[in-house]
Amino acid sequence: MALLEVKGLVKRFGDRTVLKDIDFSLEEGETKVIMGPSGCGKSTLLRCLNRLIDPDEGQILFRGEDVTRVGTDVRLLRQRIGFVFQQFALYRHLTALENVTLALRKLKGLSGREADEKALLELRRMDMETHRAKYPAQLSGGQKQRIAIARALAMDPAVLFFDEPTSALDPEMSREVVALINRLRFEGVTMLCVTHDVFLARYVTAQVIFMDAGEIRAEDAPERLLSGHHDARIREFFGNSGGSDA
Amino acid sequence: MNFGNILWVLAQGVGQTVLVTLACMLTGLCAGLSVVVLRRLQIRGTAWLLEAYTYVFRAVPVLVLLFIIFFGLPAIGIKVSPLVSMMLSLGLIAGAYLGEVFRGAMESLDPQELVAAEAMGLARGQILVSIELPQMLRLAVPGMLNEFTTVLKYSPFAYTVGIPEITRQATALASTTLRGVEIYLAAGLLYFGIYQLLRAGVRAVEKRFEIPGFGTN
Repeated sequence: MALLEVKGLVKRFGDRTVLKDIDFSLEEGETKVIMGPSGCGKSTLLRCLNRLIDPDEGQILFRGEDVTRVGTDVRLLRQRIGFVFQQFALYRHLTALENVTLALRKLKGLSGREADEKALLELRRMDMETHRAKYPAQLSGGQKQRIAIARALAMDPAVLFFDEPTSALDPEMSREVVALINRLRFEGVTMLCVTHDVFLARYVTAQVIFMDAGEIRAEDAPERLLSGHHDARIREFFGNSGGSDA
Repeated sequence: MNFGNILWVLAQGVGQTVLVTLACMLTGLCAGLSVVVLRRLQIRGTAWLLEAYTYVFRAVPVLVLLFIIFFGLPAIGIKVSPLVSMMLSLGLIAGAYLGEVFRGAMESLDPQELVAAEAMGLARGQILVSIELPQMLRLAVPGMLNEFTTVLKYSPFAYTVGIPEITRQATALASTTLRGVEIYLAAGLLYFGIYQLLRAGVRAVEKRFEIPGFGTN
């Protein structure tokens, strides 16, 4: 059974249909990357999957359970999905450690000590333990993104969503984060990553979903999508970036 | 009677001035926080009530509201003490202004942080208590200090309902000595001293909860 199975997902904003009949699945331990031009519906899709946005039609099966049906415990669903944002979204008034422990205390009901232990474990995993007492403003972009990943992983999610994780970073930090995501992939973390970063797609993934105008145009291995794909739109999109690594 | 003696006599009203100011500040703080919390929680049926409160209480003069409460309510059998009358007039008017200060601070929070908290599975109330209020209060400090200063400056209205604060002491002394200039100058100095203490207190709290880079990026 797939961890995540999306069937005929549709989302409209007024008269505009931003997601058209989306179908795809994500297996346990698998990593998929969603690419496509700005405004094609990638981030909306990610937000529909954890019900930050409610889809209008279709089904989302999470470990076989339809999480679009009325009565779904949306907050519980969200706790099972880690979410990492483009702009890091760390809480500015909390230290790195407190950013990670907040949900552990509030949602998992861990004591302060238990939450600290778990958070330190995740910060160590991200090589960020020495920065635990720093506030977001005292960290670089790459460090912030590592804390954000540690915060998401601390909840032991079934899947990790990334929304443009490298877009706000300089090339050096971007490569750092890509290497980290790749490491998580080899650790068996299930991930779904929205990105424009061709380097990330080539370095990390086995499978790329290409979206355009709210539709999935293709799902294929990155090398096949990036070099001379039969779909002219895909060739056009990757035309300038397909051959480079950054 | 020299200037020192005048200051000493008026200083007997400092305690009452401070009491009235603190009581009204506390009332305003509670009212302002209630407004911002209820607004954020979007509890059905409260929106119009909150709008009406902030609209009406910002428009009515403090003295008029004070007289309605202190002199008007006894006519329908409700007797309110002078201090409570001040809290219900000056305090609630300050609350209406503070509600707007808090609203402005809330609007300057990073929406991404709130989406991240929602995506994490935190409940509305948890987001409010753990993320929004701690950040909002830090951002609202300058506006709060401004409003607390206004409360201090309106506190002499307590004199009209019989609270023996600084201005009442000054008026009483001026009527017997006819040395108005020195007496009201001394009263002004005392208010200035209280303002400096208030300012130092707020700054100390601000410093205690200061976070590197917060509010500057």
